Amino acid sequence: MTFSQNLLSGQVALVTGATGGIGLAHTAAFRDAGAEVYAHARQTSASLDALTIQTGAHGVTRDLATPEECRALVRDVVAQAGRLDILVANHATMSMSPLAEADPAEWWRVVDTNLLGNYALIQEAVRVMREQGTGGRIVVIVSEWGVIGWPDATAYAASKAGLISLVKCLGRELAPEGILVNAIAPGVIDTPQLNVDAEAAGVSLPEMHAIYAQDIPLGRIGSPKEIAQTAVFLAHPELTAMAGQIVQVNGGSTRSRV
Amino acid sequence: MTRVALVTGSAGGMGQAITRRLTSLGMLVAGLDRAESPLCELSYSVDVTSAEEVARAVNDIESKLGAVDVLVTTAGHYESTPLTDVTDEAALRMLRVHVGGLVSCAQAVLPGMLSRASGTIVAITSELAVGGGDRDSHYAMAKGAIIGVVRSLAAEVAVSGIRVNAVAPGPTNTPLLPADSPWRAREYLDTLPTRALAEPQDVAVCVEYLVSGATFTIGEVLNPNSGAVI
Repeated sequence: MTFSQNLLSGQVALVTGATGGIGLAHTAAFRDAGAEVYAHARQTSASLDALTIQTGAHGVTRDLATPEECRALVRDVVAQAGRLDILVANHATMSMSPLAEADPAEWWRVVDTNLLGNYALIQEAVRVMREQGTGGRIVVIVSEWGVIGWPDATAYAASKAGLISLVKCLGRELAPEGILVNAIAPGVIDTPQLNVDAEAAGVSLPEMHAIYAQDIPLGRIGSPKEIAQTAVFLAHPELTAMAGQIVQVNGGSTRSRV
Repeated sequence: MTRVALVTGSAGGMGQAITRRLTSLGMLVAGLDRAESPLCELSYSVDVTSAEEVARAVNDIESKLGAVDVLVTTAGHYESTPLTDVTDEAALRMLRVHVGGLVSCAQAVLPGMLSRASGTIVAITSELAVGGGDRDSHYAMAKGAIIGVVRSLAAEVAVSGIRVNAVAPGPTNTPLLPADSPWRAREYLDTLPTRALAEPQDVAVCVEYLVSGATFTIGEVLNPNSGAVI
């Protein structure tokens, strides 16, 4: 599928973490839908260059380790593009450890990057959108683990569950001015992260895919494109009644109200 | 190959918006409704509570247009009644139309979908099934049951390549909602985060996503409800 090619023409979108597995797909999908896309990565790299050449997106770099840098990224984009209509808050970091053995610095690095960082990013984007006075769309990428939890993933799950609550509040808080905030909670998606999981489990990547697929009614893991298409759906100009909602894209592994 | 869609409640405001959207995606749309469905390729005057009538219509559609690949169940009616005043007849009818309508249509199209290992079903439920509402018990009971069917059927047929999902709109700006409906009153609209009713277009965009781009989405309920239930 694709929504129509000029669906988002004239709109400026920022995708954070754009060189990650799902970020690449967001960038391509929003370009396909006609948006002008600013693709963020921590630093310049061959993969960011390839992405911008391939899709016609603009590359922007910031290390989003602090709230200040997150805010600065939004200002960078507005300085270049003159406006911001769509934010795809996609960047995240992840590390796992049993809670009792967790290194506090690492635990907080995950929470602060994913939750505090995205809070600052969204806050700055809202200021810009509010000043423009033409509404806006914010799509926050959370996680199935933020919905159901996962062993040894307390920091990651806490950060994503925190984002879910943030999205619910902002759905209520910002919809009156036409800024619609929603989230996507992906299940297991075919990204480079699965290499880490496979290594940790001591199996090959295809074996890892098969292990995850066993618990998914659809019988397979998802693709980044399937998350990106959902993000474009949430930015659809004719979708005006979705606010504060969490769309779960997981092949059926979790079927619940969030 | 042109995809064939079956839409129930196709004469109503929501059904028409969905029909228009699916047609614009290049699909052939057949409609089931008690009234005439002006926008549909084929229009059947059918009461969805009758599994026989539904099965007969589906047979006819498949012989004329081809196998039904998309089912969208919109048919339904709304009544607001305090629980103690709900009659057995009213409760039964709620269940037969909403749950029975979904189940009979799904049973009519599933054998074909299963044999082709392809197809998708979208059931229209309601925000009131998710959040409940004052004097909405029998309506919410039926709409809530739809969600139970959707999540279970989704888990049941996903392995066969068939996706089942739902849309739970809030009060929507259709002719079904009378001009003097309390949901059109400013005092109510001001309680909604978006300050406006959902439009039929909202539901149609959700259906478009679910029948096309949502290839890893099953057993999910989309909530275009103006933020009424978050």
